[in-house]
Amino acid sequence: MKRLKVAEKMRNLMAGYYMLGHQAKVRAWVTSGAPVEILYAMDVYPVYPENHGALIGAAKLGSYYSDFSEKRGFSRDLCSYARCDIGCVFAGTSPVGGLPKPSFLFACNNICNTVVKWYEILSRIFKVPLFVLDVPFVRKELKESHLRYVEDQLIDFIKFVEKLIGMQMDDSKLREVAMKSIEAVKLYGECLRMSKNRPSPMTCFDAFINMAPIVCLRGTDYAVSFYKEMKEELEDRVKNRIYAVENEKFRLLWDNIPVWYRLRWLSDFFASRNACLVADTYTNAWTGFGELRSSDLISSLAEVYTVSYLNIGLERMVEIINGLIEFYEVDGVVMHSNRSCKPYSFGQYEIQKKLSVPSVIIEADMVDERAFSEAQVATRLEAFLEML
Amino acid sequence: MRIGYFCTFTPKELIHSAGFLPFRIFATRKPISLASAYIQSYACSQVRGALEVALSDEFHGFVFTRSCDTLMRLTDILEFLGKRVYNIEFPTKIGNVDYYVYELRDFCKTLESWGGEISFERVIESLALYRELEEKLKKLFEVRADYEIAIKVQQIDVSGAIKLVEKKIEEAKKEEKPKILVTGSVCPYPEIYEIFTKAGFAIKDDLCTGRRFFEFNYPNFEPHDLDSALRFLAEKYFSKAPCPTKHYPNDYRFDYLLRLAEDCEAVVFLLVKFCEPHFFDFPQLREKLEEMGKKVALIELEFPVASTEQIRTRVEALKEVIG
Repeated sequence: MKRLKVAEKMRNLMAGYYMLGHQAKVRAWVTSGAPVEILYAMDVYPVYPENHGALIGAAKLGSYYSDFSEKRGFSRDLCSYARCDIGCVFAGTSPVGGLPKPSFLFACNNICNTVVKWYEILSRIFKVPLFVLDVPFVRKELKESHLRYVEDQLIDFIKFVEKLIGMQMDDSKLREVAMKSIEAVKLYGECLRMSKNRPSPMTCFDAFINMAPIVCLRGTDYAVSFYKEMKEELEDRVKNRIYAVENEKFRLLWDNIPVWYRLRWLSDFFASRNACLVADTYTNAWTGFGELRSSDLISSLAEVYTVSYLNIGLERMVEIINGLIEFYEVDGVVMHSNRSCKPYSFGQYEIQKKLSVPSVIIEADMVDERAFSEAQVATRLEAFLEML
Repeated sequence: MRIGYFCTFTPKELIHSAGFLPFRIFATRKPISLASAYIQSYACSQVRGALEVALSDEFHGFVFTRSCDTLMRLTDILEFLGKRVYNIEFPTKIGNVDYYVYELRDFCKTLESWGGEISFERVIESLALYRELEEKLKKLFEVRADYEIAIKVQQIDVSGAIKLVEKKIEEAKKEEKPKILVTGSVCPYPEIYEIFTKAGFAIKDDLCTGRRFFEFNYPNFEPHDLDSALRFLAEKYFSKAPCPTKHYPNDYRFDYLLRLAEDCEAVVFLLVKFCEPHFFDFPQLREKLEEMGKKVALIELEFPVASTEQIRTRVEALKEVIG
């Protein structure tokens, strides 16, 4: 795997991000799809347990930390991000020395209802307040009443934070953060779209490895400068004909959260068979946050965060995937049926039937390596590539 | 015409008032075969079993309420299979009645588009009938928990259901036995409850196939038009016996359950494998219950239940410990 040079910078950036957390005065643990702009605008440091879960998975420590939760009675069938994150709390440590304790919790169910339960547990452990941003599921069209419901809660949330920190939110600060968020998301989208080149300068594994800043630092200058640099490196690659997969023969799309503990194995598996995973539905989900409008910011935040990728009906998901297939000129789709993520995985059988190219489903889990059978996955993928 | 529904938060009163039969779909005793082609094996067996029923029986349509992630996707899956479906976005966070009244208004429009008729008079009538059924079930359960009836009434017309419960009330005799609290999602198998009674327990429950179907607090006002009837309905369902798929202010469900457990000797978590909301609550609830001095056991179910023997052994062992 030819890693991007920025990956090194990303590691330092994220190390700095985790360090800063310990110095911050007010910290919120927050879900990946929550409108973090409000937190940055109020100088609240956001801590991302999901990113932490991914990091544990990539370190191949999923079952190790999950065990701390399982010993306390948490079922192995529960989401592995949640199991590992709660496990780290019980263990009192993690690969980054544990997350800094929260001042409050902020869970938005636009990615799943799991986060509501997970954060309730954290709220009981840490004895800190929890704000749930309840976002209606958008099966078809976005309804006016749904939007108003979310807007009202955003206003409540701002009041909730203001009361906790004893300070009012400055509207212009929120605007400023939102602008940075838009810029970072725009640059990030441009990075991803570089894979349109044939052969592609990057794979979805590069996208996975370098997605932490768009999740955790969206709304800051760090994310903007990081993706600027990543984009430049990708442009250089295209100019100098450096390809992610030397003899790119097949172009594939990945669906679902990565199998974090097998990134390298999967990446090598595909590369050695001249297959390049040029795009994925997971990292692409964050490009939607770029639709923010600076006028009527609250309403715009409500809208953008309500129609997030995991909060829409299968019909709309099919449209998006077929759009990606067309844009990236993809030959086939690899779908990860992820035991830990029900809203992402249920419906894949139906989606499969409506895709414009062939697809294959592999069974695994994003973090828990016990749910991965190498022989089974390899056989499936071999057969799929042969068919292509 | 039957309208299939899955969750006890479904406003069955509106379905009934529109002229349909609200029919609660449970996993059946049939092995799951058709459903496996449409949903993965790590979906809970209640959903896989219900999908099996939805695919093999006749329904005019299916109504969902936002509860867990699996049911949320089941709506889409059924629609892709050509079924008539509607999803009511019941809030996850209990609180904003106005929002839910809007949702109910939209649901009324859907029922009309499905050939139903909505009028204030008929809604009021259905509200009264279901209230009567719920109050009678509550009365019956105060004397003796009867799950065969609690399950049956969810699949027949409400007027017939009331008569059935009335008959059971007449026959029911109270038995003085140590109480056991059984908490979980659904268990459509009456013989499993019998294991507890035969072991010498009187059951108090916190289940979708028991108390959560009929325990409500009713708002303190008389509806005077359709809109206020919808408001009544919204408030009624907001104050229903709590469910772990919802987020309540001040951890209401935990308090509620600990209060339910007060006069019980033991607590059994009767949980369907892969049911995230319940399994997330379990460890912390167990801890609090044990602090109260309660004996706690976890029994994991998968439908169809192949053998009840293992469950019997667990329950009998629990009875022995308590003495």
